[in-house]
Amino acid sequence: MATLAPLPPAIPMIVSWNWLKEYLPLNMSHAEATERLLMAGLNHESTTPVADDLAIDLEVTSNRPDCNGHIGVAREISVLFDELLQLPPAAPKATGGDVNNFARVRVAAPDLCLRYTARLISGVKVGPSPDWLVKRLATVYSHKEKWKPVNNVVDITNYVLLECAQPLHAFDYRKLAGREIIVRRAKPGESLEALDHNIYKLDPEMCVIADSEAPVAIAGVMGGASSEVTTKTTEILIESAEFAPLAVRRTARQLKLHSDSSYRFERGVDPLGVEWASRRCCELILEICGGELCAGVIDIGGEPAPRAPIVLRLAQIQRVLGIEVPPSEVRRILLALGLTEPVVDAPAVTPAKAARPLPVPEPPVSLTLTPPSWRRDLSREIDLIEEVARIHGYDKIPEDASVPMTSSHRTDWERVHDTAGSVLCACGFDEAMTTSVVPAAWNEAFSPWCDAPALVTGQPMLEGADRVRRSIVPSLLAARQQNEAQQNEAIELFETSRIYFPSPTGLPTEQWSLALTSGRGYLFVKGVLEALLSALGIGHALTAEPQPGSLLDSSRSARLLLDGELLGFLGEVSPVGKKAFSLRGAATVAEIDLRLLLARANMIPQHADFSNFPPMSRDLNLIVDEAVRWSDLEATVRASAGELLEAVRYAETYRDAQKDGPGKKRLLFSLALRSRARTLTGEEADAARDAVVSACQAKHGAVLLA
Amino acid sequence: MSLEAFISKLDQLQAAATEALAAAANREALEAARIEFLGAKSGQLKAAQKQLGTVAGPDKPAAGKKFNAAKMAIEQAFDAAQTRLESAPPTSKDGALFDITLPGEPIRIGRRHPVTQTIAELKDIMGRLGFTAVDGPEVEDEYHNFEALNIPEIHPARDPLDNFYLAAAEQQHASASPLLLRSQTSTVQIRVMEETQPPVRIISLGRVYRPDQPDATHYPMFHQMEGLYIDKQVTMADLKSVLRLFATSYLGRDVHVRFRPSFFPFTEPSVEVDMSWGDRWIEFGGAGMVDPHVLKAVGYDPEEVTGFAFGLGVERLCMRRHHITDIRYLFANDVRFLRQF
Repeated sequence: MATLAPLPPAIPMIVSWNWLKEYLPLNMSHAEATERLLMAGLNHESTTPVADDLAIDLEVTSNRPDCNGHIGVAREISVLFDELLQLPPAAPKATGGDVNNFARVRVAAPDLCLRYTARLISGVKVGPSPDWLVKRLATVYSHKEKWKPVNNVVDITNYVLLECAQPLHAFDYRKLAGREIIVRRAKPGESLEALDHNIYKLDPEMCVIADSEAPVAIAGVMGGASSEVTTKTTEILIESAEFAPLAVRRTARQLKLHSDSSYRFERGVDPLGVEWASRRCCELILEICGGELCAGVIDIGGEPAPRAPIVLRLAQIQRVLGIEVPPSEVRRILLALGLTEPVVDAPAVTPAKAARPLPVPEPPVSLTLTPPSWRRDLSREIDLIEEVARIHGYDKIPEDASVPMTSSHRTDWERVHDTAGSVLCACGFDEAMTTSVVPAAWNEAFSPWCDAPALVTGQPMLEGADRVRRSIVPSLLAARQQNEAQQNEAIELFETSRIYFPSPTGLPTEQWSLALTSGRGYLFVKGVLEALLSALGIGHALTAEPQPGSLLDSSRSARLLLDGELLGFLGEVSPVGKKAFSLRGAATVAEIDLRLLLARANMIPQHADFSNFPPMSRDLNLIVDEAVRWSDLEATVRASAGELLEAVRYAETYRDAQKDGPGKKRLLFSLALRSRARTLTGEEADAARDAVVSACQAKHGAVLLA
Repeated sequence: MSLEAFISKLDQLQAAATEALAAAANREALEAARIEFLGAKSGQLKAAQKQLGTVAGPDKPAAGKKFNAAKMAIEQAFDAAQTRLESAPPTSKDGALFDITLPGEPIRIGRRHPVTQTIAELKDIMGRLGFTAVDGPEVEDEYHNFEALNIPEIHPARDPLDNFYLAAAEQQHASASPLLLRSQTSTVQIRVMEETQPPVRIISLGRVYRPDQPDATHYPMFHQMEGLYIDKQVTMADLKSVLRLFATSYLGRDVHVRFRPSFFPFTEPSVEVDMSWGDRWIEFGGAGMVDPHVLKAVGYDPEEVTGFAFGLGVERLCMRRHHITDIRYLFANDVRFLRQF
């Protein structure tokens, strides 16, 4: 799945149906076998007929490297269908002299090469492979268009890799300078012509197999051309080794050279199987190519320490899976998978005891089992429970258990978030979704919240985008431009997401923001924000202060404060800003801090009684200097109108330089007046208006237009 | 009154009434004509009925017959006029015809993004199953993104090329733990478990980031939903049952779920979850029992509690639901796309 944790993609494992018959009788149909394998964890992708064989494509997860070979798959089938698995003996006859007299191996990089075995065969006859071998390989490689058998020795090494998932390499031993193998880090400047005849530049983090002069193979990845086995080869050195997975992965990635070998080393090989594979390979070579095997093996690193046994408490199966599995079935599954029970001496039966009636054996409460070397994924009790579950079958787990009920709640945060979205939609804005990482130019264009430089990603998310954004506004302007380019109408967009302010230590501050862009002006967008405040029951008035900056028109932009705290920014995009984002039409943007809305929101509004007496209103038309700001005048109005004032309603600003003189404007508004106790008289309303007019005159030099 | 005079009078009356009723151009005119001729108090027909009494006795039956015929004719004319007016388009006084087929006044309502809609649906369903939505940071440290999730340093998922590691442009402390954009929302579950004692029943939803070349099915930013349930005696049967309830709610009909073994560091056992869709199985996401290592890492005792976790990609569900064929549409923000949902 792409969800719980990222994993490298699995590559397909192609299995030959006929080949599997080597290890167990296939008494079931191919469809039955693949269905059971699918439900046991080997995803069946497809099956293709090849000659008289079937090429079965299985997906192997990274925790099951043993299934990257036919024996692993055969073992799964043997467990699922309760068939006996039979493996080849891998017991080649060694009739030659001691291998140590003819070859030397030195591992100079034991951190990269954990185990290295070498066997030597002389007098081999390199030639074409027998038909049965070619046919099996042809099935497995049927998806590779250009595949052709190479020669019997090379084909056998590939065969054994596909059999037991252990990569092997055969060197033409006579071509190794100094008749020795050195496993070491590459030296600076070294390069190697590999079997694919490309030349690879090596670096000192890469592990190579070298002779006394130069690298002859890239460890775990590919052999070199110079020591390639050809028809002229008579003496071969068989390498079977265990290389460090991360180093192989890094090397393969660096060189962009991924092979069947590197794929298996990256996932880890069976440390005990290294030596088995070597014997198996020699067995087949002697059988097919002839020759004489030197006695013994060079084995650097040696056998791994024995695995620790695992105790499986049988009650845990029910506790985790929710179903019971009979203990005998649990034991059968685990033994068939290759786990072993410690050898216990049978208790001596004394005559005295024998005379008594036989005690009924107590059902076991636990099993103690040692995992096989090829299953490194098994080390804990829970690992064994998983094995039991997948072989016994997940279909046995019921899907109608009664899960206890519990309460859950929508948090205030979710409510505020949802309300914000609903209000914006109601105001005609479509919700956009833009990426959190933006190009440097956007990042620089607008960052009113934060002066600290943005976080930078190690690699760009999209082309040229590597700054973790400090504002959503540039992203929305870019989306606006894209829509303009399509000649879309009514480009009204909003987005809620986080913006990121770096912190000198630890995690950055992540602020949930709401940003919007409109083709309409400052006052429309301000109205949208005021509607949002109203919808959240926030009674405090929004105050606006001048906000310098180049993206926005400085005469038509503001920082917005709510009760003295910074709520956000609002403004019309300046000509400079439009140019920066290649915008043709008018655009206004805003961005506000949703956390402040959450803090101020009145989530459960309380009823307030209202007056049922009729209202009265008085219209005013005041001439003031241009410099007088509405917010100041309104404050004066509210302070002077008296307690009958219900609302102040701004109507419009009007300019008539001829009548009022230059630098003057008229502010038109009305007072809504109402009493909670009685019907107002015209005189009371007039008195309130007169008080407002004289206060505005005194404070702002306002003149009532007669 | 003589019979002849009465009949003649009635003929005139009938002629005038049918003409007036036929000429009525609207309801008001029709009503005026009705009052004029058929009015109960002072209609002309009523007046004629009164005159019926003045006709001589032997002529009365003939006069009465004639009156009834005239009355019926006028009433029929009225009904015809009424039907005519009801089926005719109404006109205002100046004769302008209101065109009821004109479009309504345009009211622009914006749309929620399809991914948001999908998330809302998921939250809604999981909320009813007792899962509360939780939130957590998108920029994470390696501990929460990997280690606590049982992803060891050597795990290929930690390869820098497969993650968006961060470096502050300038003042990054050399000693500070490397930060990265989270590659999964499981990080939130760790943070919740670190601060909360079981039982825990939560979902975490949000953006996650992985370096992927954008194509029809990949985008370097996408959304995940992950669920977590930890308590005493939570089993895989509970996991299967919750996912089945979820699938049934989401698809709106009785569906079945199936588990296939899989491998995720965070859970053990781990499974792929399929939902039955018609006669086939479709991939739903991954799930499993929370690995004992993970429980220990957050300070829970795996001998005391067990739990399950599941996760799915929101975009995939969204795309399948709305038949969106290319994930890049979701992040291109073309309003012609956004307005379809």
